[in-house]
Amino acid sequence: MDAVVNRFIHVLKLNGLRISPAETIDALRGLTLTALVERELVREILACTLIKDARDLPVFEHLFEVFFQLPDVPHDHHHHHDHDHDHDEPGEPTRIALQPDEPGINQNEHTHDEPSDVRDYFDPEKMVSMFNLHREPNRLSLSSLSQHLILNRNKGLLDLVMKRLTHHLRTRRVKNVSQPGELNFGAALEELELDLIAGAAAALQDDLAAMDVDEALLERLAQQIDGVIANLPELLKGYIERELALRANEVQAHELEHLESAYNYRFNEHERRQMDELVRRIGRQMRGARSTRRTVSSSGRINLSRTLRGNLKYDGVPFHPILANRRDERPRLVLICDVSLSVRNTARFMLHLVYSLQALFSKVRSFVFVSDLTEITAEIERSSLDEAIGRVFSGELLDTDENSNYGRALEIFHERYLAAVTSRTTLIILGDGRGNQRQPNAWILEELRRRCKQLIWLTPEGRPSWQLGGSDMPTYAPICHRVEVVRNLDQLGRVAEDLARTSFVGWR
Amino acid sequence: MFESIDQVIDQLREQQYICDRRLATVIFLALKMQKPVLIEGPAGVGKTELAKVVALALNRQMIRLQCYEGLDEARALYEWEYSKQLLYTQILREKIGRTLEHVTDLREAVAQIRHHEDAFFSEHFIVRRPILQALLAPEPVVLLIDEIDRAEEQFEAFLLEVLSDFQVSIPELGTIKATAPPAVVITSNNTRELSDALKRRCLHLTIGYPGEARELEIVRLKVPEISETLAQQVVEVIRRVRALDLRKAPSISETLDWARALILLNAESLTPELVEETLQLILKYDRDVQKVTRELPKLLGGSGADSHHHHDHDHHHHHDAGVQAAMERQREHTADYFSSYRGSTRG
Repeated sequence: MDAVVNRFIHVLKLNGLRISPAETIDALRGLTLTALVERELVREILACTLIKDARDLPVFEHLFEVFFQLPDVPHDHHHHHDHDHDHDEPGEPTRIALQPDEPGINQNEHTHDEPSDVRDYFDPEKMVSMFNLHREPNRLSLSSLSQHLILNRNKGLLDLVMKRLTHHLRTRRVKNVSQPGELNFGAALEELELDLIAGAAAALQDDLAAMDVDEALLERLAQQIDGVIANLPELLKGYIERELALRANEVQAHELEHLESAYNYRFNEHERRQMDELVRRIGRQMRGARSTRRTVSSSGRINLSRTLRGNLKYDGVPFHPILANRRDERPRLVLICDVSLSVRNTARFMLHLVYSLQALFSKVRSFVFVSDLTEITAEIERSSLDEAIGRVFSGELLDTDENSNYGRALEIFHERYLAAVTSRTTLIILGDGRGNQRQPNAWILEELRRRCKQLIWLTPEGRPSWQLGGSDMPTYAPICHRVEVVRNLDQLGRVAEDLARTSFVGWR
Repeated sequence: MFESIDQVIDQLREQQYICDRRLATVIFLALKMQKPVLIEGPAGVGKTELAKVVALALNRQMIRLQCYEGLDEARALYEWEYSKQLLYTQILREKIGRTLEHVTDLREAVAQIRHHEDAFFSEHFIVRRPILQALLAPEPVVLLIDEIDRAEEQFEAFLLEVLSDFQVSIPELGTIKATAPPAVVITSNNTRELSDALKRRCLHLTIGYPGEARELEIVRLKVPEISETLAQQVVEVIRRVRALDLRKAPSISETLDWARALILLNAESLTPELVEETLQLILKYDRDVQKVTRELPKLLGGSGADSHHHHDHDHHHHHDAGVQAAMERQREHTADYFSSYRGSTRG
């Protein structure tokens, strides 16, 4: 029983659920408390001890169904590949381990059937039926959006599929090797090919897992695993493209343009969740941590030392208790964001963060610029996230086709909005500092630094490339309190969290 | 103590609480394993009620801690009674003077007083707040920590020690362990995410809106004077209202309020006029009331008819709404998603 439950928990983990050892122990303890006669009961026990987030329940339910399938119930899948029809259930790793491998008689089939198996994994219809259980019953037709959604939500699934694929291939191979009598020359040849595919699939998986996939790598990858990827349906390709777009590092401007067509500024569920998590963490720190300083107020706890001191005149008799309370530290943020083409991908996330921050805190002002600079605080308050970001990038608010001009943008900010920056403000600038050989106006930045509490510059470009062609970063960087390189959500999250720690609750 | 899951169901039913097996399983496990239960779900589905009936069924006292923003350990766990301490110092002044009579130097005086220090940091000067009360109760109690999502994140941290070991550490006194571990029920309306540490220590239970049969059963049980037709109509209409995209869908508590109100109005069955007049009872927002009023003919259309008709109707509704409405809803959903924070913060 223990082993089975442990394996099941392992499967849950593979599917992205977080389960701690303590919860595992709880589950096992819970199971010992009742007679395990009903399947439903087992499910309830496992659900209440292991699953602590209602959003994870559908995944759990599905995996439970698959994992604890009653053995006597025939596998009623409509699948027609006769030789390994068990494999088309991505959430069912036990099967692969338990299934007695068919002898090498249909090796030939395997060689060319594996890719088509992969396709089966991603059969859109099947994905919907498996992972849309918890969605609205009147679902729309499977749009590309929801396809992405499915894949993004189930990143673990993709990994799982890949792992299983390779595992499957490897076990098959090992089996054959350990039974040399069955090996013939032809089979050995097949092995080679199988091995190639296995390796390729592993490589694909590894590369997907690696955070910084870049264009060149993908191309190499694509060639490498041609045989596999050619047969992957559009869905997976789209996924890889998106992963790429997300992690696009130092992609040149023209590449960005190229990406943009396929890339709208909407956010998928995965990104939302990630951003939600991020903002929540930041919010927790900013809001949660109250200032340690207590101030005298009409309510709160009695401050013993002040009471004693204040009542000395009554010979220490506490006639006037003095109360003190903690005051919340309210962050004041001013965000200035470059939305020109060269930093657009990062700007997107930055705006996302800006939007969420503004929803969280009352004292946030947001500005965007390319050459002109304009305030978008009101825009953000009024519209939804996608709308606001869409409007910023559509050129409706300011001309986004211009070349970025940091000097001019700073000048406008200095002229019109200088009052927004006070000694309690944290000023965050996002941009690559490429002012296209125009006046950098570094003196304005210096003045801003003097006025604000903290000046932070976030740039998508790594330090080495600042030296290359017309970057003003070397001029700007020493002025700022901090300069951080931010390319993706993870890095942005780290910086923002750092920020929350240092600038909002610490100090002062 | 409950001996089996069926017993949980039976005993809760005796207290007029209808629960399904799932819920009973969790309650049973929680008591057996001495673990807190974390109940999440929309407002008014009987989360708090569950704690109450468990207390009644087990014949235990219930201690309730209502959470709110700004709740701290001084209000939840314990507090030193400063004023009392000060007062005692004053009253006992002479006594202290006498103790120190034959003391010659300051150092000795401090040593003397330190000897009596624990007189002023004893349990005598502690105000017991709900959690400490629950721990120190001689008989096991049911501790209800209500709407924990209203309190701040750090408050959860205070709870961790209590929840996992049923003990509280008071620096001046040491660790106070529960004499009889209480059954802890924590409820959350899900306005914010709870910390993983807290969730890990609890058994988790989500209560949603009940199924049709169960809701009908609840109505019959709680409002026994209701006629069969009216009960069925009420439940059916409520279920259809819930299917609409509302800001606050009616819960069981609203169903019961409504049923009771209809009884007071001497209603035998629902008419459109009656529904319109009493709509305010089940809906809490004006916008929702307007929306439901618009949909009213549809809502009442198949009232009392068989469930097949019901499905048909539902389907039509969605179909009418069409893609545009679906998109709109999706957008609204998105907006909600990101503004959901606004509700729970002061920002």
